[in-house]
Amino acid sequence: MTDIWTPPYPEPGSANDAAFIGIGEIPSGVYRERGFMAQIVEASARAIADAQLQHTDIDQIVLIPCLHGIPDQADLIFSRVAEELGLHGRVKSSVMVHSGGSTSDNATRMAAGLVASGQARNVLVVYSEKWGSADLQAMIDMLSVNGIPREWEAPTGLQFNAIGGLITQRYMHQSGSTAEEMASVCVALREWANLNPNAMYYSKKLTVEKILASKMVSDPIHAFECPFLADGAAAFVMTSATEAAKKQDAWVRIGGSGGCVSHYSAGQDEDLGVLGWVKAAQEAYESAGWGADDADLGEIYDSYAAVTTIALEGLGISPKGEAAREFHKGRFSPGGQFPLNTNGGLLSAGHTGVGGGTALLVEGIRQLLHRAGERQVPNARRCIVGGTGGSYMDAQIMMLERATR
Amino acid sequence: MSVDTGYIQNADELTGPFAAALAEGKLIVQKCNDCSALIMYPKYRCPQCFSGSLGWQQVSGEGQLQTFTILRMGPPSTFHVEAPYGIGIVKLDEGPQLMCRLHPGADGTWDHYVCDQRVRFAPADAAEIAERAAAWFTAA
Repeated sequence: MTDIWTPPYPEPGSANDAAFIGIGEIPSGVYRERGFMAQIVEASARAIADAQLQHTDIDQIVLIPCLHGIPDQADLIFSRVAEELGLHGRVKSSVMVHSGGSTSDNATRMAAGLVASGQARNVLVVYSEKWGSADLQAMIDMLSVNGIPREWEAPTGLQFNAIGGLITQRYMHQSGSTAEEMASVCVALREWANLNPNAMYYSKKLTVEKILASKMVSDPIHAFECPFLADGAAAFVMTSATEAAKKQDAWVRIGGSGGCVSHYSAGQDEDLGVLGWVKAAQEAYESAGWGADDADLGEIYDSYAAVTTIALEGLGISPKGEAAREFHKGRFSPGGQFPLNTNGGLLSAGHTGVGGGTALLVEGIRQLLHRAGERQVPNARRCIVGGTGGSYMDAQIMMLERATR
Repeated sequence: MSVDTGYIQNADELTGPFAAALAEGKLIVQKCNDCSALIMYPKYRCPQCFSGSLGWQQVSGEGQLQTFTILRMGPPSTFHVEAPYGIGIVKLDEGPQLMCRLHPGADGTWDHYVCDQRVRFAPADAAEIAERAAAWFTAA
């Protein structure tokens, strides 16, 4: 095992201790009438209000990119959000952070670092995506050149569902999980989505039978095991614990984190059934001083069922090879022993591109702030958030803790 | 403009020799001239010793199928191949690993493939390689 460098984390409650103090989100799904910038402004406004701040209190903007088109992404890069929010002349900087599906974790690291180093007081982090309204073939083509080496793997006809198929095939081979057990992952997430009014599939039920009867897309993945592209937006605000304590009864802090970039191209990962989770978890747990057994819930990237089961095993939340079977037994469903992806995840709340991970992070913060309504995990104090980007190139972990005055 | 040479300047210098070998029915991988590491996919510097002195070596084409899939819906429009088609990741006996195409069996399906089985390099014809420079494998 390689040496883990555990950085000194800020003292809880100190001026260097970054705190999530507010969240905002609009429903995910297909909302053609809802514009990209309108989504950003609305999600931001909700997060700022939830944080009990005025918009003019924001002095730093960290943007999570969209993938549906270059012009809208250029708006993010060139500070349009600052101007749309009336923050031009006020914010120190407006920057985009991008690592695909794990962006929310890296944007959090950056926002927390800006707070800890005194570079920012109130940081707004926001994403907006219009995947649900975009041209499907154009998105398939876009996703066939992103995270896939165009010189070396594009000539095989690889695309994102095929990468999901490769990972799932390997996971099922190693774990002996059945098609029914894999399908039960999607069913559990749908049951959570049925409790989330913001979820794309809030009002639609899903069963194992329906999944197994759907068309095979990329063996062994069926159509109803693929994420559905969605429009959506979410935002959060970070400040220091000392600032948070002035206005808030409770906030969320980062107890520790871990990360591992295991590959760029799927063909180069040493074991697609493992990925980078084991190494990332060791670092995360050492830095936080608590681990899988101490967590009340998890919010872990789930663009395909196996992406989540592999993460759960690497994180030690499930024994090796048992995660899909534990889903089948109901451990991760509403009412189960370990609530997971309580917003419905990417698979059932909607895949909002880079924002899918952000929606999971925001849900984790929401649960720890005890603002999750019908699906609230009772007395949630600790949440493990996991993200991964591109061809599952990395494993990023945030150890979130509820803090009170 | 000053002369600035002595290093690999673009991806064509890496893809060119690989595709040329495939068109001749051979599978080559990159080899570090300093530490002898075998490298896939080919890089600008050796990932082991960071040397910029890199060449090529023909490999046996024998290996193990790490995983595979059959894409049945939604191929990239730039790929110009109709679904279904088989894709796999092969770990060569010499060590390097690569994404590849899988030949169907005599029955026209990929039903006979399983993870960790032995596979061997079985190149596509030169016309196919000219369109899509991928290594093809079949069950050994």
